[in-house]
Amino acid sequence: MPNITLSGVAKSYGGHDYAVRNLDLTIPDGAFMCLLGPSGCGKTTTLRMIAGLEQPSAGTIAVGDRILDSVEHGRYVPPEKRGMGLVFQNYALWPHLSIRENVEFGLRMRKVPGPERRARAEEALRMVHVDAAMDRYPSQLSGGQQQRVALARMLAINPEVLLLDEPLSNLDAQLRLEMRAELKRIHEESGATIVFVTHDQLEALTMATDIAVMNQGELQQLAAPMDMYDRPANRFVAEFVGSPPMAIVDTGPEPGGLAGSLLRHVAARAECVPAAVGIRPEALRFGPPPAGAWHEEATVEAVLPAGSSWTVRLRILDTDLYAVSYTPVDSAPGDTVTCWTERMHLFDADGARIAAWDEAGVAA
Amino acid sequence: MAVLTKAEAPPPPPGRRRLLYRLQVLRHDPTAALGLILVVVLGYLVVAPLVAVLSDSARLQYGDEIHAGQRPGEWTGYYLWRVFRSQISGLLFWEPLLNTLVVAVGTTLFALIVGGGMAWLVTRTNVPGRKWLAGALVVPYMLPSWTFSLAWLTLFKNERAAGQVGILQSVGIRTPDWLAYGPLPIIVTLGLHYYPFVLLLVGNALRRIDVQLEDSARILGAPQRTVIRRIVVPLMLPALSSAVLLVIGRVLGTFGTPYVLGLPADYRVLSTGLFQSIRDRSTGVASVIAMVIVAIGILIVLADTRMMREHRRFVTVGGKGAMDRLSDLRRWRWPAFALGVVVFLVSVLVPVLTLLLSTVTRTPLDLSTFTLDYWLAERLPGAVGFPHGVFRGSELWAAAWNSLRIVGLASIICAVLGLLIGYVVVRGTAPRVAAFLRQVSFLPYLIPGIAFAAASLSLFAVARGPIPALYGTTFLLILVMAVTHLPYSSRSGIAAMTQLGREPEEAAQIAGASWWQRMSRIVFPIQKGALVTGIILPFVSGLKELSIVIMLTTTGTQLLTTLSIGLVDYGYTQLANAVVLVIALVSFTMTYLTQRLTNSSLASGLGG
Ligand SMILES: Nc1ncnc2c1ncn2[C@@H]1O[C@H](COP(=O)(O)OP(=O)(O)OP(=O)(O)O)[C@@H](O)[C@H]1O
Ligand SMILES: [Mg+2]
Repeated sequence: MPNITLSGVAKSYGGHDYAVRNLDLTIPDGAFMCLLGPSGCGKTTTLRMIAGLEQPSAGTIAVGDRILDSVEHGRYVPPEKRGMGLVFQNYALWPHLSIRENVEFGLRMRKVPGPERRARAEEALRMVHVDAAMDRYPSQLSGGQQQRVALARMLAINPEVLLLDEPLSNLDAQLRLEMRAELKRIHEESGATIVFVTHDQLEALTMATDIAVMNQGELQQLAAPMDMYDRPANRFVAEFVGSPPMAIVDTGPEPGGLAGSLLRHVAARAECVPAAVGIRPEALRFGPPPAGAWHEEATVEAVLPAGSSWTVRLRILDTDLYAVSYTPVDSAPGDTVTCWTERMHLFDADGARIAAWDEAGVAA
Repeated sequence: MAVLTKAEAPPPPPGRRRLLYRLQVLRHDPTAALGLILVVVLGYLVVAPLVAVLSDSARLQYGDEIHAGQRPGEWTGYYLWRVFRSQISGLLFWEPLLNTLVVAVGTTLFALIVGGGMAWLVTRTNVPGRKWLAGALVVPYMLPSWTFSLAWLTLFKNERAAGQVGILQSVGIRTPDWLAYGPLPIIVTLGLHYYPFVLLLVGNALRRIDVQLEDSARILGAPQRTVIRRIVVPLMLPALSSAVLLVIGRVLGTFGTPYVLGLPADYRVLSTGLFQSIRDRSTGVASVIAMVIVAIGILIVLADTRMMREHRRFVTVGGKGAMDRLSDLRRWRWPAFALGVVVFLVSVLVPVLTLLLSTVTRTPLDLSTFTLDYWLAERLPGAVGFPHGVFRGSELWAAAWNSLRIVGLASIICAVLGLLIGYVVVRGTAPRVAAFLRQVSFLPYLIPGIAFAAASLSLFAVARGPIPALYGTTFLLILVMAVTHLPYSSRSGIAAMTQLGREPEEAAQIAGASWWQRMSRIVFPIQKGALVTGIILPFVSGLKELSIVIMLTTTGTQLLTTLSIGLVDYGYTQLANAVVLVIALVSFTMTYLTQRLTNSSLASGLGG
């Protein structure tokens, strides 16, 4: 299946507010694309428009050069003809059908003969580990099991495009890891295109080949996971992706304290005057600084060990921020340490990122 | 890559393309089309009759040219004048209005006292046999409302009206007219039918009040009297006002009892007056009276919603906390139980037994004249219009078949319409259509059935455009009966569909199912339970429906209820009693079974 393209897609549910506005997005064939954003930013709406359950107010949705949905072209292909699979945020299992019948339904609609239908349904259920509950009804399953049945129902019809709306949100940590791996395997084996909605940035970073970050109905950035992390397009993305989030210090008209310290360091080396400077927690290091790195004295306020890493809450001059260390931290609250960094992100007054500053100089 | 342009509304595409697009969406998702069809259907069945009756009341009818000095079809105030200001307006309107008010107030007080008292007894005291009493005391509501009036006549009737005299008279006790006919018997018999209504509403409210609320007030030092005045009464007010207004509304539209007990003494209420005017073919006058009934009905429901809104803040009080603590009646326990039993006896057992006895003896109370002739005889001497037992001949069976067929079809239509309305409302593709459907399907609730039937007559009595005159057809009966029960079915349909949401259907759509497949394999099967309840509840209440059908049946389409009233008209008391017993038995059995099978409560079926 060729690329899915959304161009100029907007959706309003009546009224003046747009749930999605002016969305240009290309989902390459075989991609594992994550739609990432805070609650209410329009992820579900976007997904439903791709599936055809919601009609865009404007714009065009196409697969290759086959237009699926476009008011401008006067064309609409209904969901049942798009051949996509969708897992709903609230599962939407059919309460009057058994688990097996739920999974078989799509195959029945495709007139798959009985024996093959049963075999495929069983295989799909086995894949998500609910084959033991095959003859029960949805109300007799736990939330997590229902979610997995919803997945199986979609997998059984073997769609070329899989749309998933937070399909793992109700699973425990163990099962979620397993299902992530399973989804990744399915993706690799089938070559299907997957659009995966989540508000869990860690999930997006671990699974996606491409991430699209949305906020208030607008696309903020589209990039590969590590690019997104290293070069966030703007303050929103910088703060949304990464945990703990990037610390961003506004410089203001008369920068003092930490802002002043950072700005002086940047101004001595670059032409631009950023409106805000951001530092990722793991870029903030302790100990004697290398030559040319920015450094400052800091007071340790709290140390939060998390097994393999240590999150430290610091106070530098007038500002609190977090640092993450992957080596044991032996400071206690109240201690004074020297911390330094060689990598900062610079933002202009509109919040767009202008550059990253690191030891090699100003980098894009 | 970042797209940070602020959204500008893109230029609208050319109209033709937009239309093409809409058509394609419509083809695959006919919800909007379905919505429009429903709008037209409801507009025609609900709104048009009201418009027609309004226009009939203000246009000169054929036959009145000489009196009014105008040509037929002209706008006229003649009927308004005739009903409200002429010499006969006292007879036509003011007296029936006054009588209606007397009956309404009397019935309401009766129902409040009996129903309220019994509600307190079965919810808040340790009276023995509470469970049994709570169930037994709602039985009167499962019987046709005029069962009681026939039983009353069987007991108290004197020679004034045609047919066999009552039991008292036949053993030599003279019954005066005021005891046999008119307001007193009407109030008592209607009260006996409607007190379960109060019992249910007030009982539910009492059950919801947390005893802890009373306790905490008492702990704070409030004396018992203050607790009742400041806590219990305000909490009860919504239920009480609802019960009062709904009983008044029901009494306003009820036909059977005032017809049976009022007419022999020329005691007229609005509903019987309306019926008379239609019988006399005074369409204009009938329309005006119907409008008045509609107006009062609307006022009552508006008053009720208003009160409910004002009291909304009280409603969600209390959990299940200390609910099991009941007032200890001590030595009054058994007397209280006896009182409950007496109410049951008077409201169920006595009327039913009286009717039954009257049908198996030739001379009242004289068991030596025991006979099954009224049920089974091939020939009954003296009864010219119905010369055999009720189970013989074809009349009863034909009427029963008609009732089954007509009420059954109406209920099915009603339930399906209700679900479809719910479907369109929940799909939400057309908010304005949804709002219209929601409101218009509720409109019949405001209108007493008899007035609505009169309105439908206005619309369907003559051919209008492509639609032929429907008067006297079963089709009209089915339509009107379905529409009058629509408020309940549309509400439950909307509730059922809202609870389901639209995702299950969308999931089927994604799985490749067409609209028909979605409806037949997903939506309707999931709603099977709602559909069954939606059919059975209107069916049970439609079986005992009289006020609506009395206006619309002709001799060709007798139903069980109209057959029984017809027999009363002839003065064949025993036969009429026998038929009403049949209706009572069927309706009671069905209600009972429905409650058992679907776990639905009678309160949700208060539509009858
Ligand atoms: N049917 C609807 N009618 C009106 N507004 C809607 C409707 N569905 C969604 N919205 C609005 O559109 C916006 C986007 O909703 P959407 O469901 O796409 O968010 P989301 O990103 O999926 O959020 P979440 O992570 O909470 O699921 C929200 O502001 C929401 O209130
Ligand atoms: Mg969502």
